[in-house]
Amino acid sequence: MSCFNKTAAFEKMFCKLPVFFLFLIICQFSYAQEIDILFKGAHVIDPKNNIDSKMDVAISDGKIFRVAKDIPIGSARKIIDVTGFYITPGIIDMHVHVFQGTDKNSTSVGNSSRSQQADAFSFRTGVTTVVDAGSSGWRNFPLFKEQTIDKAQTRILAFLNVIGNGMIGRFQEQDVTDMNPVMNAHMINRLYPNILVGIKSAHYWGEFTSVDKAVESGKLANVPIMVDFGEHNPANSIESLFLEHFRPGDIFTHTFSEISTGRESVVDEKTRKVKPFVFEAQKRGVIFDVGHGGGAFSWAQAVPAFQQGFYPDVISSDLHDQSMNSGMKDMANVMSKFLALGMTLQDVILRSTWNPAKVIKRPDLGHLSVGSEADLAVFNVREGKFGYTDVRRMAVSGTKKLEAELTLRAGKVVWDLNGLSGQKWAVEK
Amino acid sequence: MGLIALFAVLLFPQFVQGQEIDLLLKGGRVLDPKSNIDSKMDVAVKDGKIYRVAAEIPASGAKKVLDVTGMLVSPGLINIHTHVYAGSKPGFADGQSSQLPDAFAPRSGITTVVDAGTTGWRTYPDFKAKVVDPSLTRVLAFLNIFETGFSSGSAIEPDLNTLDVQMTVDAIKKYPDLIVGTRIGHYKGKSWVPFDKASEAARIADKPLFVECHMPEYSLEDQLKRMRAGDIITHSFENVTERMPIVDENGKLRPFVLEAQNKGVLYDVGHGGVGFWFDQAIPAMKQGLLPNSFGTDEHRTSMNAGMKNMLNVMSKYLTIGMTIPDIIASGSWKPAKSIKREDLGNLSVGSVADIAVLSILNGKYGFVDSGGNRIEGDRKFEAELTIRAGRIIWDLNGLAATPYKK
Repeated sequence: MSCFNKTAAFEKMFCKLPVFFLFLIICQFSYAQEIDILFKGAHVIDPKNNIDSKMDVAISDGKIFRVAKDIPIGSARKIIDVTGFYITPGIIDMHVHVFQGTDKNSTSVGNSSRSQQADAFSFRTGVTTVVDAGSSGWRNFPLFKEQTIDKAQTRILAFLNVIGNGMIGRFQEQDVTDMNPVMNAHMINRLYPNILVGIKSAHYWGEFTSVDKAVESGKLANVPIMVDFGEHNPANSIESLFLEHFRPGDIFTHTFSEISTGRESVVDEKTRKVKPFVFEAQKRGVIFDVGHGGGAFSWAQAVPAFQQGFYPDVISSDLHDQSMNSGMKDMANVMSKFLALGMTLQDVILRSTWNPAKVIKRPDLGHLSVGSEADLAVFNVREGKFGYTDVRRMAVSGTKKLEAELTLRAGKVVWDLNGLSGQKWAVEK
Repeated sequence: MGLIALFAVLLFPQFVQGQEIDLLLKGGRVLDPKSNIDSKMDVAVKDGKIYRVAAEIPASGAKKVLDVTGMLVSPGLINIHTHVYAGSKPGFADGQSSQLPDAFAPRSGITTVVDAGTTGWRTYPDFKAKVVDPSLTRVLAFLNIFETGFSSGSAIEPDLNTLDVQMTVDAIKKYPDLIVGTRIGHYKGKSWVPFDKASEAARIADKPLFVECHMPEYSLEDQLKRMRAGDIITHSFENVTERMPIVDENGKLRPFVLEAQNKGVLYDVGHGGVGFWFDQAIPAMKQGLLPNSFGTDEHRTSMNAGMKNMLNVMSKYLTIGMTIPDIIASGSWKPAKSIKREDLGNLSVGSVADIAVLSILNGKYGFVDSGGNRIEGDRKFEAELTIRAGRIIWDLNGLAATPYKK
């Protein structure tokens, strides 16, 4: 609308008029807008928005409608009393393997029953988004998408394996002729930009070829790479990996792994000191991911690291057949381990919501900003005596444990442990 | 040398005996319904088998001693209604609606699951290779009377020509340790031929028939009449239009339901997505019908709904008044007997060491049925430790772990 060639007064009035009307319409709209679900009385932790206090959360049309103190219950269709619980953004598990299938030729997690079903592990632990860590490569990603991603309720994103065939076996992962940065970049930039968030390099026995091909792919596609760096003999230098090969924003996973051969640890195994270059790397922007897994979390690494002020940037599970019944168990259990270490709940939530969202460049996720998709978790912090086990069957005891009471995915209740959202049924006496 | 060894044995017999125990569970409340045990006892495991169950077994020399004071020690739980032919196809057979057994069994104290007819004789070998053989959990099966199992039963009218009693019986005989009966369900036609053939195959093989639902043309009364003693009906407490509920409009258990129970028909919960309603389960219990087993009907849509897991289903029964010994019996020994696997579901000396160590949590809990109805309770089961053939396959709080010294 043009406001030229008018007197100042007229211009002022005429230009403000639409604004005024708009204001009226918005007022109308906000009153007419029904709140579908109103969570009342929880302690809200939303690290992105610096919220850490008792607030109500209103959901409308699958989106966060309002986060404020004492939202009137007036127009809400459903009110859920969550007093005594915590509300957090839906948890993001940045390291899982969910390419479940039955390829007889696969000996690893690609298209095999070694991968797990996302929906079976996500919602019951407050997780709404998982990121598959390279189970598929550019050649079998379309199958993964059709077979799994499109059919899951959980939001499934993925790191594309630097290897075209993904994780179908140890030997295939050594094939440097199957590392195609140009194709990888096309997959991410052109074909599946909404699902693919990075490149994975894993289980490579040689020098830095796999990492460098991943970085090359990552540069072309403008995405981070995630590296599982641990099957070299003798162990390859992680200092070189962090400071010479990684770009800021690239991810080192299995941070607290300690195995005798093939992998260098971040904490010196003799002095139990965090190696100085590890702090330097983190300062430089290298991302440290937990990636607990079956064999990649040792208290002997995590405890001294924590005591010396080295914290992971992202907490994740590395869900697969070997980890699910071990010390890992599920994402809420891994998060609880960090509570047992002494990390605050706020810091744990940051590392499992907004931090991973930033790392994978998905700022639309991992927070409760108004207008964002209503992915949300309601947690109970159980008090008691709990034990948390590592890969060496060493246990650290804790007094707190996170339990997912209720999980919302795009505004829909997808997990409700104690029937908070259900109606009450009178028991005949 | 031999002489020295002999003296050693003579001097320290208790030591030698102690050394023979691989795992000793001390101080728990042992519930072994088969042997009528419900008291504070210790359980010793050796070579993957139950070695001894007694009060105060000496800890000295046992390779590993776990303090389970305050917890329940039960035979490994048995879930006789699951769908575990997990694969990548749509639906249940080799499909995504099925769940992998190890993903849900160990964490619920379950050591044995029974797949409820997801396969027939033609597809069973594929299921065996893909799921049964690689799983930590013991995976048994009711064989569908339709040759390809579930895939032939739901969307399209199944071909009655694919019903083969002899092939079904042959498959059961070929896998006597793995196939525990036959199954009928998901049949929309009027003909009784499929039901009768499933029943006939079971009779010939001397196994139970497992009767599921989604057979709208068969009346409940007719189904129960055709079932023999030892046959199992599931989704017992559902309240859906497709099958007459066992409790009538006035809250009375239908007389023919009790008659069938008296005849020896066994009622499995089969919770699933829509198969469990408090308005059926509570009146049924009050009028004398308790579930013989807590089959969960584990699958993609039930797992995150009111069902959740078998311990949650058992906790519902704890809340509506079933006793702990009765619940453990219906979670272990009774289902073992119902599938004629009396080697399972007990803690008799010499039995395979499948054990569940359970905690009862105290707090404020809610339980929801298939209609979204909620009841409140103050107790809930949780699996602390699951042992399969002597091996720990689940250890929630690191009972068997070494304390890490910070």
